[in-house]
Amino acid sequence: MNTIVCLKQVVDPELPQWDFAIDPATKRQVRTGKPLVISTYDENALELALQLKERAGGKVTALTVGPPGEVKDAVRLALAMGADEAVVVDDGAAPQALAAEKAGVLAAAITRIGTFDLVLTGCESADWVERAVAPFLAEALNAACVTFITRAEAKDGGLTVRRTSEEGFHILDVRLPAVLSVTSDEALRPRLPKVKDIMGAMRKPVQTWTRAEVAATPDAAPEVEVREVAIPQRTMKCEFIEGEPAQQAEALVSRLQALKVI
Amino acid sequence: MDFRLSDEHRVVQAAAADFATREILPVAAALDHSGEFPTALIRKAAEAGWLGMTVPEAYGGAGLDAVSYVIAQEEFAVASAGVQTIITVNNSLVCDPILKFGTEAQKRRYLPGLATGRTLGCYCLTEPASGSDAMSLRTTARLDQGTWVLNGTKAFVTNAVEADVCVVYARSGPDPGAKGLSAFIVEKAFPGVRVGKVEKKLGIKCSSTAEIVLEDARVPYDNLLGERGQGGRIALATLDGGRLGIAAQAVGIARAALEASRTYARERKQFGRPIGEFQAVQWMLADMATRTEASRLLMYRAAWLRALGRPHTKEASMAKLFASETAMWAAHKAVQIHGGYGYIQDYPAERYFRDAKITEIYEGTSEIQRLVIARNTLRGQH
Repeated sequence: MNTIVCLKQVVDPELPQWDFAIDPATKRQVRTGKPLVISTYDENALELALQLKERAGGKVTALTVGPPGEVKDAVRLALAMGADEAVVVDDGAAPQALAAEKAGVLAAAITRIGTFDLVLTGCESADWVERAVAPFLAEALNAACVTFITRAEAKDGGLTVRRTSEEGFHILDVRLPAVLSVTSDEALRPRLPKVKDIMGAMRKPVQTWTRAEVAATPDAAPEVEVREVAIPQRTMKCEFIEGEPAQQAEALVSRLQALKVI
Repeated sequence: MDFRLSDEHRVVQAAAADFATREILPVAAALDHSGEFPTALIRKAAEAGWLGMTVPEAYGGAGLDAVSYVIAQEEFAVASAGVQTIITVNNSLVCDPILKFGTEAQKRRYLPGLATGRTLGCYCLTEPASGSDAMSLRTTARLDQGTWVLNGTKAFVTNAVEADVCVVYARSGPDPGAKGLSAFIVEKAFPGVRVGKVEKKLGIKCSSTAEIVLEDARVPYDNLLGERGQGGRIALATLDGGRLGIAAQAVGIARAALEASRTYARERKQFGRPIGEFQAVQWMLADMATRTEASRLLMYRAAWLRALGRPHTKEASMAKLFASETAMWAAHKAVQIHGGYGYIQDYPAERYFRDAKITEIYEGTSEIQRLVIARNTLRGQH
């Protein structure tokens, strides 16, 4: 099973609130000087890819798009965790890109990588939460697509997967090639790399292509325009309800009803 | 001059921070309250390779340099100084002397277990009556039909309760002071070796501190570490590395105190605004940040010298001295910035305060560090 895992570097979502800033000119989150990490669900996707490799053999390739200076730690970590190869598409515009454009670049890079059975992504990125890269990719690659996967097993030349849904979960058989988006699950807790594997990862080659080299369609008219991004303002107001306890309780209930809280 | 970390060091830092955040931090407060030794956590640290960081891969270690070592230790100490103590003792006080002074057979016998967590190590130098004056220790070692027989009591031994392998210093000859000392690798399972009094401590509570009692302890002849009479030298050389581990611990505590104070200063409002907007608090934060950074740079420089194989006794002492006094000072300020909340256990500031104190004491008090620095300075070593 040859698996390509798409990894995105995002500003650490654990950063305190005051470290979160939006650039009004680009309408994007400020990344300069902020610690970057692999987007949460992408790590689950990588873990699933490594587990599939351990059970069914094959190769895992980590793929990421972005300025190499920003993304190289992500691919080193992926290699340390057990990915066999890493590909970086050098694209300074990537941090600004939304799902459709990002999927276009990824699809072009995957086409250049060549053969694959499976492409895994996180079910959503920790910054934009668009949940759209996997379906876009499947369309571009003419592959099957299942989203919100927590399990996958190789079976009869295809896969049996478990898809989480609001009602519970579905068990589905999927033909290959396929694009799966992966959500979190205790069984997909990303492994901690061993220190010697971290050092080994430093010696593994990382293939770097420019966006032009992967022939990604440049500047396709964006389907989505970001009009405004704002940090929600939270205000707090304290009201005192006077009176005897019984009257206070009655007044409280009607006040909460008026506020549509109950 | 280049102050940037290398790619390798940055990756080690990220991996150590990841381990600290995911595995240590969530249990740090609970471990401090219970004082329980974190067996499962240490096993995980060992599986990841953090227990034998500078041990070559051939002996089961991670084969990292001294700079990587202090970088990772700082990350662990930010999360829990108690957990970091357990890890740093195994690395720098047990693996290091065996690696540096051990025979090939000793390395093959002990390092793979210590580096992978199958066994844990402890370091037995201090005795009830010899702390700063370590070379006056009284534990004896005599040869009896080709076997060493050790008698004495070792005090304040970190990891004593859980350790399997002890590096023990004992008086093996008539020479007074350092010349009469030898070092031994003593397995806890050897006859005559037992754990004595287990201490209750102010801080670093999840690490055990206890006596190791040697009563006619029989140690195979081949477990002499280094040469007979070389014990003093081994002890001092080992402490150079040990002090870097404590410097890293202190830098970690100072950083944790600073980070907690920064968060609190931005969130806590008094007189209608965050207390971080008041100059009284800003000055404390500024000094905490400056001293922490200075401590880290001293630590990096000493580690860099060690990685190059150059003398670093004075630099390791300077880093340990400055970092430990910074940790205590920064933790004190952190409690002050937190006010009443700094004094209660719902916030970590009081833990940093309790944990910081030991860094000014163990592996050489601040007074001993000043003695080492002064001696080297008077000799003209700048």
